[in-house]
Amino acid sequence: MLFSSLTFLFFFLPMTIIVYYTETRRIIRNMFLLFASVLFYAWGDIRYLPILFSTVFISYIGAIFIERSNHKQSTAAVFILLDLSMLFYFKYAGFFLENIGLLFHREWSLKLVLPLGISFYTFQALSYLIDVCRGGVKAQHNFFNLSLYICFFPQLIAGPIVKYHDIADQIDDRKETTDAFYYGFRRFIIGLAKKVLIANASGEIADKIFALPIAEFDAPIAWLGAMAYTFQIYYDFSGYSDMAIGLGALFGFRIPENFNYPYISKSISEFWRRWHISLGTWFKEYLFYPVSVSLMNSRAYRLIKKHFGKKTAGVFLSIVALTIVWGATGLWHGAAWTFIVWGLYNGFFILFELLTGWGKTKKSKLLSAIQHLYAVFVFVISFVIFRSESCNHALHYIQNMFGLIKEHTVYLKLPYYLNHYNILIFTLAFLFSFPIFKDILNVKNKYYQTIINIFIMIAFSLSVFELTANTFNPFIYFRF
Amino acid sequence: MDRKEILKKITEIIRDVFDDDKIDISEETVAADVEGWDSLTHITLIGTIEDEFNIKFAMKDVVNMKNVGEMIDLIIKQTD
Repeated sequence: MLFSSLTFLFFFLPMTIIVYYTETRRIIRNMFLLFASVLFYAWGDIRYLPILFSTVFISYIGAIFIERSNHKQSTAAVFILLDLSMLFYFKYAGFFLENIGLLFHREWSLKLVLPLGISFYTFQALSYLIDVCRGGVKAQHNFFNLSLYICFFPQLIAGPIVKYHDIADQIDDRKETTDAFYYGFRRFIIGLAKKVLIANASGEIADKIFALPIAEFDAPIAWLGAMAYTFQIYYDFSGYSDMAIGLGALFGFRIPENFNYPYISKSISEFWRRWHISLGTWFKEYLFYPVSVSLMNSRAYRLIKKHFGKKTAGVFLSIVALTIVWGATGLWHGAAWTFIVWGLYNGFFILFELLTGWGKTKKSKLLSAIQHLYAVFVFVISFVIFRSESCNHALHYIQNMFGLIKEHTVYLKLPYYLNHYNILIFTLAFLFSFPIFKDILNVKNKYYQTIINIFIMIAFSLSVFELTANTFNPFIYFRF
Repeated sequence: MDRKEILKKITEIIRDVFDDDKIDISEETVAADVEGWDSLTHITLIGTIEDEFNIKFAMKDVVNMKNVGEMIDLIIKQTD
């Protein structure tokens, strides 16, 4: 079920809230939320329920085994591999088979439909197993509580990826307050409006341009397509995260933030501290640190340190660790070369910034503007790679952006894509990328708050109107 | 070594790792207070501190260390 669907907005959500608040006992409330979450998941496709259940079951049993084991790490490895094997089978087996086939000039294929949200909930399950193994938290002996952690419908299918140690205490002990409810309600509507009014409109333009044969559009249109997609992906995914965080608050949960105005970044490293934060920190805590620490203890590292000094050893460590982490980050997004290239492309710029000291705070306004332009340029191009059907398509598209493709027959010129409505949407998309609106929303003045709430209700009405009138309503991150 | 001495030594290490002699460190200092203290420099710092004090941090501590004070606690726990 989509958050931005009339069924969710007018049936599922209100009914869930009403029934939830007729009960006061924590344990019953939690069981009911779990029931609602399973219903939410099964609504779309009931066939994938067993896979979700298997992940929950493996993690539940696994953590208890890890806790009792004398060889915690090897026990954890077994259950981590079990969880990962399902993700691997459904998401990557086809891709690997196809590419291995290519090596032997064979056409092998395996077409599986990706279970909804598998990349997200598998990562939550892994977070739990690793946290228990590291000893930061206790294994959850209540099966329903653990199921709720993995299946809680606000974050089940597209995140934020909540780490177990961030939310463990809230499952049993949280406060549902009117303030949190009010906050969650507003946050949800803002997310809905971002998604329905801005992301969908930008997405329609991006889809049109990315579907064109390369020879049928020129540089200005290519840039427009790239910009439209840059806006779509941000408003789509951050809107979804707003809705998830808002929904969590309705039931007293504090779900960690996922976005922090990424488009104001001055470097790609900063961008990744502001974009899909829950995934970035997941990879940092569960992949980057372990990989780096084992690299530091490796013979290669010690040898380089001995012969070439600490700095060179540090560079070696950064290159290897960043390649592994960003290759994996790319692959997490999808089983395709475009995603791997996209991940490594990000890693490359982060390494570049590290080696040159780029992006550090500078007093000069001019330099800061240049840094900002650099970052925008790099991430807009990165999204072209992300959006393209193949690496080849991405390459041609980027060439087209820089006027490197000469033979054109442009049937539809720029003004065709830029009608008044689209210009309005782009202007809003640009303005809302800046944190100033967060401060406006939080201004402490009853009179202003009333006016803001009127605007929020207008945004809600417009979103509902748009949902009834328009069928274009995809969610980018549902594919992962 | 007492806390003061450890803090002094950590300050020296941090100044060296970040290549900045003006950084002031207290027990309350968190990563966000120091320009450029990101995951990559964090690892370098952890490695240098481990070598200097001849200790090993657990992975849980590498990830969850909240401030310099906590780092000192962990060092004391292992050197005593």
